[in-house]
Amino acid sequence: MSSATSTSDAGGTPTLPSWQLFALAGLVGATLVVFVSRGQSPAAIILLSLVVFAAAAVGAAALRTLAPLIREHEGAVPIVAGRARAAVEREKTLALRAIKELEFDHAMGKVSEQDFAEMGLRLRTRAAGLLRQLDAGASYSTQIEQELARRLAKAGSSASVDPGGTRPGRFCTECGTASTAAARFCGQCGHKLETA
Amino acid sequence: MASLGYYLLLAAFVVCAYAAAISVAGARRRSQALIESGIGAFYLLTAIMGVASAVIVYAFVVGDYSIRYVQRYSDSVQPMFYKLTSYWGGLDGSIMFWVSLLAAFGSAAVYVNRERHRELIPYVVTVISVVEMFFLFLMIVHNNPFQTFLTETHTDGAGLNPLLQNFYMAIHPPTMYLGFVGLTIPYAFGMAALITGHLDDSWLRAVRRWTMISWLFLSVGLGLGMIWAYEELGWGGYWMWDPVENAGLLPWFTATAFLHSVMVQEKRGMLRVWNVCLVITTFFLTIFGTFMTRSGVVQSVHAFGDDPELARLFTIFMITLVVVSFGFVIYRLPLLRARNELDSWLSREAAFMMNNWILLFSAFFVLFATMFPTLSEAIRGERLTVGPPFFNQWMLPIGLTLLLLTGIGPLLAWRKSTVLNLRDSFLFPVAMGLLTGATVVALGVRVWASGICFALSAFVVGTICQEFWRGARVRQRATGTDVFTALVGLVGRNKRRYGGYVVHLGMVLIFFGFAGEGFKQKEEAQLKPGQQVAVGDFVVRHDALSVTDDGQKQMITAHVTVLRDGKPFAEMYPAKWIFRKHEESPTTEVAINRGFAQDVYLVLATFDAATQSASLAIDINPLVNWVWMGFGLLALGIGIALLPDAAFAFATAPMPANAATTALIFLAVVLSQGVVLAQETIPAVFRSPIERRVAEEVMCTCGCRLSVANCGMMNCHGKESQLAKIHQYAAAGQDHDAILATFVREHGGHDVLMRPPNRGFNRVVWLLPYGVAVMALLGLAATARRWSRRDVAAPAAAAIEPEIDARLENELRDLD
Repeated sequence: MSSATSTSDAGGTPTLPSWQLFALAGLVGATLVVFVSRGQSPAAIILLSLVVFAAAAVGAAALRTLAPLIREHEGAVPIVAGRARAAVEREKTLALRAIKELEFDHAMGKVSEQDFAEMGLRLRTRAAGLLRQLDAGASYSTQIEQELARRLAKAGSSASVDPGGTRPGRFCTECGTASTAAARFCGQCGHKLETA
Repeated sequence: MASLGYYLLLAAFVVCAYAAAISVAGARRRSQALIESGIGAFYLLTAIMGVASAVIVYAFVVGDYSIRYVQRYSDSVQPMFYKLTSYWGGLDGSIMFWVSLLAAFGSAAVYVNRERHRELIPYVVTVISVVEMFFLFLMIVHNNPFQTFLTETHTDGAGLNPLLQNFYMAIHPPTMYLGFVGLTIPYAFGMAALITGHLDDSWLRAVRRWTMISWLFLSVGLGLGMIWAYEELGWGGYWMWDPVENAGLLPWFTATAFLHSVMVQEKRGMLRVWNVCLVITTFFLTIFGTFMTRSGVVQSVHAFGDDPELARLFTIFMITLVVVSFGFVIYRLPLLRARNELDSWLSREAAFMMNNWILLFSAFFVLFATMFPTLSEAIRGERLTVGPPFFNQWMLPIGLTLLLLTGIGPLLAWRKSTVLNLRDSFLFPVAMGLLTGATVVALGVRVWASGICFALSAFVVGTICQEFWRGARVRQRATGTDVFTALVGLVGRNKRRYGGYVVHLGMVLIFFGFAGEGFKQKEEAQLKPGQQVAVGDFVVRHDALSVTDDGQKQMITAHVTVLRDGKPFAEMYPAKWIFRKHEESPTTEVAINRGFAQDVYLVLATFDAATQSASLAIDINPLVNWVWMGFGLLALGIGIALLPDAAFAFATAPMPANAATTALIFLAVVLSQGVVLAQETIPAVFRSPIERRVAEEVMCTCGCRLSVANCGMMNCHGKESQLAKIHQYAAAGQDHDAILATFVREHGGHDVLMRPPNRGFNRVVWLLPYGVAVMALLGLAATARRWSRRDVAAPAAAAIEPEIDARLENELRDLD
């Protein structure tokens, strides 16, 4: 029930304490219940406390439901923090394991030569793709931006085609990495950015 | 209290509707905010159901008898443990429990997968929410567990059915529900994949673990149900092919098929349409099973009762489900086209297809035979009984084929096996099988089915041992360690495969136990204190009868000594318990002396307190415990397959400790029940072979739905007279068929027979499933031929940069 995942930015309102608040409320409520319901059987008191805790969970979950609707989402930047990278890492491990398994099967005499070559190639291509993806910083947005920058640089003049009219920042003349409009130096190589 | 609960259910319904709607909206508009809110709403549903569950359990604990459900299923003298488990003791509560479990399970699945399968999640939430909405709707309009009495007031409850006051019965339903509920998750992911069109293998990866977990729960649930039937119902067996038992078995078959065919898709990219259909069918069967149990369409001992309104609602839901699900499959058919190719019948793919064929055949057979009485009544107006003798007869060849395939499958190579490697890999297992078969014949075993089963078991064990051994050798060569380390490393490296083999081993043990059924001995005797009777190798002596009372129930216990070869073997205490509030249905407390070779199973059938005499049903059940051990091993195997990678971080890691202990606890629980606590030999009640045969085939008229030979009901008003009749007819010189004909004539219908007479329309009951199976096999062959003619397209060879390739090699080395 971690509400830390619900938000895109780490710097905004502190989201983590919200569930702690509810946990605290649950504890306080349970304590009150224990006081109020003195004289009842222990099992009943335990269950009442459970009811209170579950109610606290309801509160936390309700907040989790409503918070995303109220909170502003800057642009369309999806959540691509550490978790997405971890997911790609996991995919890669899976692919590598599959290769290992294939080699093992081959050694056991369960895969024909032709198959071994074909499936091996397929798996390796996949693993290589994932490796590249990890190199590229895992997040698709940076990948897209790098690709965009590369192509723009290849196209020649940097101060040209801007189809939608939106200016996606500027590009470093040395390495082609995109930077925000406010940046004065390239984040990748440190080259001084030319002012427009 | 009651109204709080009811409002919570209403709130849950609203939240569900919100979650379903906002997730679809979020997915359509690509709004992260809406999707996140939908996920939150789903968590909220779980929390609300948590509160509602706590509320109803609280009502049980404090004994709030103004609530109907609480009044009906508990009372004040009930032990605390059964007060808690009364939550799912009745229909309404079990639906609520179902909803809560599904919410919890679904939340876990959503939480784990929300990053990795971002595109599927909103629809997963939608699908699960819609299913939840149906059950919540049922509760709100029809089966509200929080319903109160309008005017009457009760100071005490009616008490839980005594039959359900058994440890296994308390944990069997939740395990079963977890299995059923868990199978909703693969369905939700499958549907999400169909809706979004993301039909690559990623959804399969997401559901793999969930399917295995559900399968584990389903299997263990079935096992616990069997143990319960064996210990509590007192007829000497554990599986009576009751419609409700079958309802649990059906999704088990299809889920097993799915677990296997998924591998074909992963490895070869084949069978994509098939896998989606299997997931849908499995989910449908779980709902269908719930429907059968709860609506009263089929006669069964443990159905909840007749309820046409509920049946109608369920029917609507099931039809919608089938139409929508398969509608999406058809709609997405173009995207599901796979590169299917089959090089040879002697390949692993073909073996998997055969496995799917036989499992689906089993499912269809069981389904059709279970529904046949309903069908026969609808078409010909004749009520029939399709009982254990019928199933045992026709499922036998299917089961043996399945066992055979279990042994063959792992030996075949992917794509194509050459004659050379066939000879190489089959030599040892076949030798094992033949050796065992020869031994069995030499020992003069008269039951051929059991003999074949033993031989096949040996064959499968040979296969599995060989797989482990060869794998260990290959790994030993690769890593240069000793065999044992290599073996552990081997299992750690490919947990799913070797866990699967352990599961196969468990299945072998289960079959081994089934085969013991062929050597069962069953006698009955009316004994006065001091008298004894011989059954097989054992002599059973009745010593005394005692009557005690503990406030909740009266207990009549027979004190029995069992001797073997003249030496005391065990003291056993079969009993009848008469619960205060359920005096009309006393429970049978079976005394079981467990052993690896056989169980001695004693039931106190009737008694006479005045003369201290007792009528005992004595069963010698060979090899039964192997079935329970098989279930333990099966759980262990799945445990291995599910272990996180960390558990095998290095090859010398200790064996999966927690999985082992789980299985040990399971076994310990099973086996700990072990031993439950003047001289004149008299013959057992004499029955000629013909009487025994007829007794197995005629149904007892007391409503137990068992044959007269097996009925273990107290105060049974049908068994004695039926048996007397059989004896009389047999004495009059009638043969088997003539006696059965007489019974049918006197009863006025064929439903008095445990299996429908094999003629006319009734042949359909086995002919149709077998016919369909043969057609399916032919269809399979035709498809395989078509696939094998296709040209093998060369794989698109994408170039890999040398630098990346080198890194790949490095990582592969490090992985070991």
